[in-house]
Amino acid sequence: MPWNDNANPGPWGSPPGSNDDRPDDPPRAEQRRRPPPPSPPPSGPDFGEYLRRLRVEWDRLRRGRRLRRLNGSVLALGVVGAVAAIWALTGFYIVQPYQEAIVTRFGAYDRTELSGLHYRLPTPIEQAEVVDVTNEQKTIVGGAPGAEAPDESLMLTGDENIVDLSFAVQWHISDPAAYLFQVRDPDDAVKAVAESAMREVVGRNDLTSILTNGRGQVQSQMQSLMQRILDRYHTGVTVDAVQIQNANPPAEVVPAYQDIARAGQDAQSAINDANTYANKNVNEAVGTAAKITQAAAGYQEQVVHEANGEASRFNQIYAQYRRAPAVTRERLYIQTMQDVLTHAHTVVIDAKGATAPIILPPQAFQPTAPPPATAAPPPPAPQPQGPSL
Amino acid sequence: MNRRWLIGLIAAALVVLLANTFFIVDQRRQAVVVNLGEPVRVINPPGAYDPGLKVKIPFVESVVTLDKRNQAIEARQEEVISADQQRLVVDAFVRYRIADPLEFYRTLRNETIARDRLEPLINSSLRQVLGAATAGDIISRQRSELMAKTLDDVRVRAAAARLGIDVVDLRIKRADLPAANAEAVYQRMRSNLQQKAAQIRAQGEASKREIVANADKEVTITLAKANEQAFALRGAGDAQAASLYAASYGKDPSFAAFYRSMRAYEDSLAHSDATLVLSPDSDFFKYFKYGPKAK
Repeated sequence: MPWNDNANPGPWGSPPGSNDDRPDDPPRAEQRRRPPPPSPPPSGPDFGEYLRRLRVEWDRLRRGRRLRRLNGSVLALGVVGAVAAIWALTGFYIVQPYQEAIVTRFGAYDRTELSGLHYRLPTPIEQAEVVDVTNEQKTIVGGAPGAEAPDESLMLTGDENIVDLSFAVQWHISDPAAYLFQVRDPDDAVKAVAESAMREVVGRNDLTSILTNGRGQVQSQMQSLMQRILDRYHTGVTVDAVQIQNANPPAEVVPAYQDIARAGQDAQSAINDANTYANKNVNEAVGTAAKITQAAAGYQEQVVHEANGEASRFNQIYAQYRRAPAVTRERLYIQTMQDVLTHAHTVVIDAKGATAPIILPPQAFQPTAPPPATAAPPPPAPQPQGPSL
Repeated sequence: MNRRWLIGLIAAALVVLLANTFFIVDQRRQAVVVNLGEPVRVINPPGAYDPGLKVKIPFVESVVTLDKRNQAIEARQEEVISADQQRLVVDAFVRYRIADPLEFYRTLRNETIARDRLEPLINSSLRQVLGAATAGDIISRQRSELMAKTLDDVRVRAAAARLGIDVVDLRIKRADLPAANAEAVYQRMRSNLQQKAAQIRAQGEASKREIVANADKEVTITLAKANEQAFALRGAGDAQAASLYAASYGKDPSFAAFYRSMRAYEDSLAHSDATLVLSPDSDFFKYFKYGPKAK
């Protein structure tokens, strides 16, 4: 019964946002009205049959007893009364705690009702439009993961790069009357304004700052710009937050970005290598330095102690020397020479009177083992000259 | 029987008459009352608040209702060539209200026609204003100013065309490069990034060299300082030793020289493989040569 939908939206009023916004939204209303046409099917013959039967019933009633007249008007009154009662009952409606209802009388704003069960005069006289007030609404621009919308999400930045950005706007209806009466399509307006404002803000910022630490700034600039525009349109909407969900370089450029990250790591590892080298070498140098100074300190001690020892040795021998200088001198000399000559090869040559250079056999200069050193005298070849002295 | 039919007929006629006399003007709408094709008055016009149940002359006058609210027109996506010969795909929307319902009704009749008239108007405004600006200005530097300028232009055109509308706002939604040009931007971004990566690597290498050089310097300095200290220590030791020797040997320099020489001969010659060539004239061989009587 399609006509019933219109005239009689049921005892609990019309569901929010279904029938009541028809007058202000012709295209949608048309769409919704379209479905009915198929429903009155080829019921022509059935309807004729029904009429005929009604006529028969009616005749039977008239031909009935004298009650018929009374009966007729009572029936008519009853029907009218019942219809009127049902019509009146359609004025009840429920407002949920998160909603507010705007009641219009003959299309003019009459009152605002808060949550609970309410009554309005039935449809042509009063209408109630129920609006979600405290509910956060969310408008997503630029697509969600899995449902990308590159047309919405790719935009130019201030330095003429391209960024792939999606964001969510959270808002609520702060002025239901304005929301209903001032703007024709407030939800679409929010989305269009969000898109436009985001592109304006992104166009004022550099890619790097959007991708890194400028996000918060973009969000807050965006929120205030959106709010300004929506206020100018009197949408009755308050923007609570703008949340950038994704801000990435476009897919075509991502490998280059990854290379930047790798370059950073390369640079870091080069620095680490250098630091390792520096730590190792500097510490080794510190060790070497300690070794050098310690060795020097040791040398100092050594030299001083030796000097002390030498001095003491000399002092003692000097004390004895003073008692018998000549004897001591002689003895020291002879003893030393003995020591020296015992251990070294010795060749004694009396060169006086020699006319030609004396040529020694090379063996005389050969370092020999100590025992043959005493056998060295075999080259007393010159010795024969000795007796000649 | 007849009378009953008559009553029914009159009642029906009355209903039709009433339905044709009263009409409801919603707060969101404004109604133009048309008298035999001639718009005569407006109910609930902009700037006035007068919605509700209204009366008209039945059958003679008819009612056309128009939206009173702020509404949107999305302009078709348009390729604009900026002053510096860059192509940009521009997407804009306009928000407007019907400000003069009579004029609107006379020129445009309804919103569908209004849309058809406004769209090209907006597009040519966009082309004109944005065509005189550079791409950089459109994208970033002067976007809001250009939007304001385009808005003014659309307003002027709408007023000249007597459309009866008040253009509330014009906003550029997208001003992007067409796909072909976007590839050029990607290319530029890539090369920029490659440059940056090379720079980062070079900086890393530079830091590495600097650290290594610093370390080498540090090593050299440390060792030099150590040597400085070592030489000083050795010098001090030598000095102290020298003073000790001097104090001791100074008692009899001649004997000290003799004694020390003897020690030196012993140390240097006695333990070497040197071959000594001596003359029997040396003092050592005194007795060897002259016998026991030698003096």
